[in-house]
Amino acid sequence: MELLNKKIAQDIIFEGLSHGADFVDVFVERTENESLLFKNSKTEDKQSGTIFGIGIRLIHGHQALYGYTNINEREELLRITTLLGSRIGQKKSLSTTFNFERFDYPTVAAVADKNVSAVEKMAKMKKIDEILRKDVKTAQVILNFISKKQKIEVYDSEGLFASEDRPYIRLAHQIIMKDGAHESDAFYGPGARGGWEFIHDLPVQEICDGLIQRATTALYASPCPAGKMPVVIDNGFGGVIFHEACGHLLETTSVEKKASVFWDKMGEQIAHHALSAIDDGTLGGEWGSLSIDDEGMPTQRTTLIENGILKRFISDRIGEMKTGHKRTGSARRQSYKFAPASRMRNTFIDRGPHDLSSILASVDHGLYAKTMGGGSVDPGTGEFNFAVQEAYMIENGKIARAVKGATLIGSGADIMTKISMVGNDLKLMAGMCGSVSGSIPTTVGQPPIKVDEILVGGRA
Amino acid sequence: MKNLMEKVLNDVKKNHAEADLILNRSTSLKMSTQEASLSEYKVSSSQVLGLRLIKDGKVGLAYTESLDEDALKLMIKQALGNADTNHPNPNEKILNHSGEIRDEMTYEEQETPISLKVEKAISLETELKKREPRFLASTYNGYSEGEYTGIFMSTSGRSTFYSDKIYSIYTAALLGENGKKANYYDFDISHTYKDLLWEKVIAHSLDYSRQILKEQTLETGKYQIRFTEDALKNLMHVFSSLFSAKAAMDKVNPWAQKLGEVVTAKCLSIDDHADYKKAFRISKFDSEGVERKNLSLIEDGVLKSFYHNSLTSHFFKTQNTGHASRGPQGPLGLSETTMLIQGKDVKPLPPKYLEIFQLDGLHAGTNRITGDFSLPVKGFVWENAEKKMTFGNVTLGGNFFNMLKEVEVVGSELHASSDASFFSVPLIFNDLSIAGK
Repeated sequence: MELLNKKIAQDIIFEGLSHGADFVDVFVERTENESLLFKNSKTEDKQSGTIFGIGIRLIHGHQALYGYTNINEREELLRITTLLGSRIGQKKSLSTTFNFERFDYPTVAAVADKNVSAVEKMAKMKKIDEILRKDVKTAQVILNFISKKQKIEVYDSEGLFASEDRPYIRLAHQIIMKDGAHESDAFYGPGARGGWEFIHDLPVQEICDGLIQRATTALYASPCPAGKMPVVIDNGFGGVIFHEACGHLLETTSVEKKASVFWDKMGEQIAHHALSAIDDGTLGGEWGSLSIDDEGMPTQRTTLIENGILKRFISDRIGEMKTGHKRTGSARRQSYKFAPASRMRNTFIDRGPHDLSSILASVDHGLYAKTMGGGSVDPGTGEFNFAVQEAYMIENGKIARAVKGATLIGSGADIMTKISMVGNDLKLMAGMCGSVSGSIPTTVGQPPIKVDEILVGGRA
Repeated sequence: MKNLMEKVLNDVKKNHAEADLILNRSTSLKMSTQEASLSEYKVSSSQVLGLRLIKDGKVGLAYTESLDEDALKLMIKQALGNADTNHPNPNEKILNHSGEIRDEMTYEEQETPISLKVEKAISLETELKKREPRFLASTYNGYSEGEYTGIFMSTSGRSTFYSDKIYSIYTAALLGENGKKANYYDFDISHTYKDLLWEKVIAHSLDYSRQILKEQTLETGKYQIRFTEDALKNLMHVFSSLFSAKAAMDKVNPWAQKLGEVVTAKCLSIDDHADYKKAFRISKFDSEGVERKNLSLIEDGVLKSFYHNSLTSHFFKTQNTGHASRGPQGPLGLSETTMLIQGKDVKPLPPKYLEIFQLDGLHAGTNRITGDFSLPVKGFVWENAEKKMTFGNVTLGGNFFNMLKEVEVVGSELHASSDASFFSVPLIFNDLSIAGK
């Protein structure tokens, strides 16, 4: 059964077109959220709730008019549409009629989502907590389980009707360690498009060992020296550097304003020839995968950069209208409260020929960023910053002492030309990306890479 | 709406539970502009109802955005189910108090036509372009207004009502020259349309971007540093859990065992003022319906108190300070109202210091546990009361706990952050490093 009565969807679209809109779409969302916080070795907080709402978009020329409500009544929906339409013009009589046709699309595989009792979930978390607390230095363990079951429907004035069920699941692990005056923490947050099976199959012992090792290393690490130096960034969440330094600048949201440093560089060499990058919404089970985007378009695999040459932008309907770059099935939003925008899905630097040891061996003195933290970018200037969670100095091609407090800063256009070596061990990692259309699940990833020079901020 | 909430609470009571309910409703209008025309126009009406119930000593939370009968029944069922799953929490209670408090803000102003608002929003960008030949684009540019109401009701008979209206404008001037780009964002908020400072937002955005175009890097080393109130507020906010009793309960507050000890330089005092007249908003009650009071957090360098709600005050067997914070979709937490940093032993400004006006990457470059931070910053070099140059492409490194100990007060007047939620006397920090060339 549909979330929104088709007749009401028709009435909304008809009302929008009557005011002179070129295009109208209606986005309907119902999301069931569940979260479970395990802390102090017990379940501290279990919550659940339902989000429901409808977003209405009228496009007139290059202008997008957007409204939303969670009052699912015809009168309220038409009131909002009329309010938006009045920005375009007076209502005129219209003879158009249309029927929505269900739109078929390939479904991106998702792990089956079976119902699992809270008892089973808590037992899993208890086991993780017990393993992490076996180390006497562990002062606190915080586990945050979230499950989101989103159902969306898209209706538009071209007669499209599409819907999708999107299950998301994530278990964030955080450990805090103390030894005298020393304190440290480590975080790992695997997530997937799927159900409990993903959590069930996680290698618990391996994850816990990794967290304890990282937190212990940080506990006794010395302050990172500051200055410009070569940096080797390891795989997985290391891909956040491409996401922030380049990915956001390839979204038409930024390109259409000519705010991106890459807005006029299509077909040009914007990165080192060693680098190819992809944004792929079709990877089964990955955190940023979709079957259709939030405009109802089937998602796709998009090669953004090939051997350093800019091949495609990440585009949505408005982006295509304003820039001419074809839609890529990348229109995304946090919820019905946001108009869709061109956003990344699963974005990664593709495999190269090198193994990690040969990349490290090429550096006399530099930094090995084994685990990256978060970062941000100013799309206008391309200036970015990233924190490094786990880092070591590289001396004479070998990993040397552990260091803490390292931050990498630079500009996207500059850094892309300095990625000179790309490894062969590609790994992806789930994260949340905040931008113009809210916070959405995205995957970052890369094999190990070498950046010839980057400003490392630490303790001078 | 009160009848609906009362009905939910009565149904909760029939299930032998206690509860409180929060209903938030809002309507809003937002518009953004691009290349001298309206690029986005957004209207909304929304509501969300959140239930926190306690049964057999266990807490259950649930919320719904739909207020039909089935949705309300489901919410109660979910909350009861969640309570059943949760571990008993002897510290969390529904406070046993009653009576109503209202906090309704009314502002006198004539209605401004939408067409004029659109025109003004567009002018944010067109003025930038008109005034600066190096203008490339406005990366963010817009206007918003919203009306917000919040109702709190509990099974003990406490109710509160809150309403407010907020207007805001923002713009960012992206300038470019010789391959160098500069982008500075500025905003203003107000309770009335007529009080919005359009000219200030345009001028600040433009002025700072012009300065950034000229930025140079600095030599790596230690500097004496002053923050603008906005920059200091943002840095203090990252470490706000230092004043949280909940963080102390959860063993993630590094100051948990330091009550009564010296934690900052003795010249500093930090207060939380719920009724500070110059603040953007005076707050009469917290999210449990407790009346607010002013609170001394640090006095002459000594940690005097944490923020408390009913849960943390029960746990620590101390007084509830009225700092409960809870939205319909979340658990009981803590939050500040207006922070005031005051000082004594005023010293003269040093002849040379750095003034930092922009800190980036705060969510990633800070460690709330260790206090270490390393952040990209921009600012001015001041020498003998003269602004000598703008610097950028550097990082600021230090430790927050040490930073608060190595500080000098260099003025006695309180200066406000742009959103008037944070006030501080001018301070100079001595134990911070810059990584540059």
